[in-house]
Formats: sequence, structure tokens, C-alpha cells
Amino acid sequence: MILDALKLDDRVAIITGAGRGLGRAMAVRFAEAGADIVAAARTLSQLEETAAIVLKTGRKCLIVPTDVTNSQAVNDLAAAAINEFGKIDILVNNAGGGDDSRGKPITEITDAEWRRGLDTNLTSQFYAARAVIPQMVKQSRGKIINLASGYGLRGGKHNYMYACSKGGVIQLTRSLALTYALNNIQTNCIVPGIFPHNEEMMRFFKGGKFVPLGRTGEDAELGPLAIFLASDAADHINGELVAIDGGGLAGGILPTGAIPNLPA
Amino acid sequence: MASDATLNSFSLEGKGALVLGAEHPVGRAAAVTLAEAGAKLILASREPGTDAQLKETAKAVQAAGIKPILRVQNAAIRADLSATADFAAKQLGRLDIVVNALDTPWYGPAESADDSAFEKVIDNNFKTVWMACQEAARVMLRQGGGTIVNLTSVLAQRGVPHASLYCAAKAAVLNLTRALAMEWARQGIRVNALETGWLDEPASPANADEEFRKTLLKYLPSNRLIAPEDLSGALLYLVSSASGFVTGESIVVDDALMCRV
Repeated sequence: MILDALKLDDRVAIITGAGRGLGRAMAVRFAEAGADIVAAARTLSQLEETAAIVLKTGRKCLIVPTDVTNSQAVNDLAAAAINEFGKIDILVNNAGGGDDSRGKPITEITDAEWRRGLDTNLTSQFYAARAVIPQMVKQSRGKIINLASGYGLRGGKHNYMYACSKGGVIQLTRSLALTYALNNIQTNCIVPGIFPHNEEMMRFFKGGKFVPLGRTGEDAELGPLAIFLASDAADHINGELVAIDGGGLAGGILPTGAIPNLPA
Repeated sequence: MASDATLNSFSLEGKGALVLGAEHPVGRAAAVTLAEAGAKLILASREPGTDAQLKETAKAVQAAGIKPILRVQNAAIRADLSATADFAAKQLGRLDIVVNALDTPWYGPAESADDSAFEKVIDNNFKTVWMACQEAARVMLRQGGGTIVNLTSVLAQRGVPHASLYCAAKAAVLNLTRALAMEWARQGIRVNALETGWLDEPASPANADEEFRKTLLKYLPSNRLIAPEDLSGALLYLVSSASGFVTGESIVVDDALMCRV
């Protein structure tokens, strides 16, 4: 029964970047769908807020303050999850950052900015996958969900690190998917479009005027996609990118709203 | 335990759905999925003379607790599709969902394919979907929205020898999906696609030749073919309000095949 296949009852899900925004939203949705949560982020106070909301659903929430750019810390995160729950069913690689160097001409971007960006957005996902794979292989079961971006597929002017790191996430996804297909571990990417987290971003994106559907996304809309990809209902989807972008990647050949005025 | 708004967003309770090509295995699995999620169903055939197969689908759907209305028709004929869309809207009250499971495999060397092969393959795999989208949209635009899912194949993205016309038709369906999604985005119609890997069903070339099947299974990352039921989750995601911010997208269900090509 397909609706039952979507439930995450008694699964254990590690979610990075779970202290706020999309990560917190996913932690809460996963818990509502029946999963116990291992919430990781740098800031303890934010994790405590996430945990308080998760606990209200009746599920457990282990909080593990983690710097995802530190491989030892990420290994410790996986170990803490196994120690507490005895297994890891789901990893959501959500932690990531913006780009300190975005908008700068290439000649002005420092080595440190480039490396920090790649560490935060790409290497962190590699570290976390590497830390959970042995347990998932042992279980012959696992789901890894990597957060990418439309910039992983398209270029951006003065946008190097972010585009490269998110493109790397997509390739990491495909290689994990292929390598562990026979171990029943599915790795997929969510490619979010515009999900503004504050008024300033909303103004910058003009309320989603340039999105084909005419609006921006809401954090709550990521929940169903993440749950679907983490569930048995997606057991044969592996190495796939699913865009949730209001149609952004399907078009773009013309500015949104422009229609060629040609004689029929 | 799990009974939240997020999971409820996958429910099709109270929604009206039309499945085209419901007499074939993929259409049948799609119909069962929609029924399990609670949709009211009209099951229409791709070809006439398929009453018995359509009744088989109806039986499977009834086991999921939904009594479907059957409609034997020819999806290659405009008047049939038009009448079916109107019939569905009238019977269901609202035509919220249309699933186009319209597929006619064709294989053969390109240099010896005649013009009738072109017409047959393009008409059956592409023109049917094009007309079905038009007729669905005519109803959906009037009622203020809806969602369409077109079934296609990973052959839409890559070449396969002796499948030239079929690959072209599948690619046509994929990019038709994107173009229609752009065209109707502001009018409340979402249009998405589902791309399947090598299917395990009687009409599949994987089942035509034992030697080919063996070679294929060895090559596939999961060493298995895709069963029509494997598409259920992605189909339900795309037709339900769970994917309200998704249009012009195609979900590939292929056990990682496209990762290696």
C-alpha cells in the first residue's frame, strides 16, 4: 500500500544543519512521519530549539553539536547515532553555506574563501557519507539525501565556488548511487529553487516573479520530497536529482513571462 | 504514529483522476497507485478491443477499494480523447489528475524503416500524448488547474541502436512536458514526467530475447529490471499536492542506470 510505504516509522535519520531553516523543517517533518532524529549543527542553542519541537511529536531527538568541515567531528556524529540508536537509516546532507566570494571578480577571490566554501558545501557531504556508509552496508539498507542547488547545473556570473561545490554534490551523489546500488543504499539529490529565509531575500527575488510558477518555495514544501526520497516508496530512485524549483530548470531559454510573438 | 500534514499531502482523497493506457502493465500499476491513495478513477484504454485487459485493471483497482469507470477508446483519435476528457470531467466533477501511460515500443534498423513506421511510432508514442495533454488542459484551464504526468523512458536522454524512432518519440514527450509546464505554469496546471529504466513487462525488449536480457541484467547497476510497481512512489509524489512547487520536472526511476551513462 503506497501511503504506508511513505512512512518513516522507527527509522533513524541524521540531519546536518538541523539548527534552523530547511534542516530544522526537515527534522520536524521526519519526526512527524515517524523517525527518530539525530540533529547536527554548530550551535548548541539552535539544536536545543529544534529538539524541543521534535520531542513534541513523540519521537526522540539526539543533538550532536558538529562542525561538518571537521572529519573527526563528523565521524563522532555517526558514532553517536549508532551508540544511541544502534543504526543509521537516513542521512540528510543539508549543512552548507553561502559564498563569501560570490560577486567578486575571480582575481579577488582568496585561497581561503575558495577552500572554506568547498569544505562547507562539498567536503562536508563527502565526510558524512564516508562516516555512515559502513553502517549502511552492514545493514544492507540506507538512504542518503544530498542538498544541491540549481547552480549545480547552471553557471552563474561571478559565482564560482557555489556552482562548483553544488556541481560536486551532484557528482558525489551519482558515484555513491552507482557504487552502493547492490548494497540497497540509495543516494539522491534535492535541487531546491528559491526558498527565501528572510524579508531581504524575498525582496531580492521579487517574491518569485521570475519563477515560472510565479512564487518562491516554502520550507514546508521540502518536507514531502525529503520524506518521499527517504522512504521505501523511493527504493528504485537512485542517483537522481529532483528539482523543486517552480519550473526554473525546465525553462530559462527566455525570461519568465516573455512569449515570442510570431505569426502562427 | 505517522498522521501529519506532510504525509496527508500525498493523499488523493476526493480527487478525480484519468489514466490513459490503463489496459497495459504500467497504466495498470499507475491506476492501482492512484486508487490506493484514494482517487476517484476513470480508466481509459490506449486502443480499442481491449475490454478484457481493462477489466483486469479494474479488478486490481477494486481490490484497493475504488470502483473505477471504464472507457474503451482509441488514444490515437482526437475525437475519442476529447470525448473522454469531457466524460471524465462530468463523471468526476473535477479532472484533477491525468496520467498518460501511452507507450508503444518499436525496434528495427533505421535504414530499412519505412514511412509507415515513422507515422506509427511517432503517432502512438508522441501524438497521443500531445493530444491527451491538449484535451486535459482544455478541461483543466476551464476549472482552474490540474496536474498531468507523462510516462516516458530513459531512452529520452540517450541513444539505443535499433530504437531510433522510439528514442526520438520518448525525447519528444520529455521536452513537450517541459514546454507545456512553462506555458501553463501561471494557470495552475503542473506538467511533469516519469522516466523509467528498462521495464520488466511483456512488451519490453528485455523480455524478448534471453541473451539480451542476460547482458542487460549484468550491466544494470542493481542487476534488476524496473517493475511497473516501482514507479508508484514517484507517480504519487508528482500527481499529489506534495509536489505543489514542482513543474516541468522529470523523475527517473532506474536503479541508478543514468548515473553510469
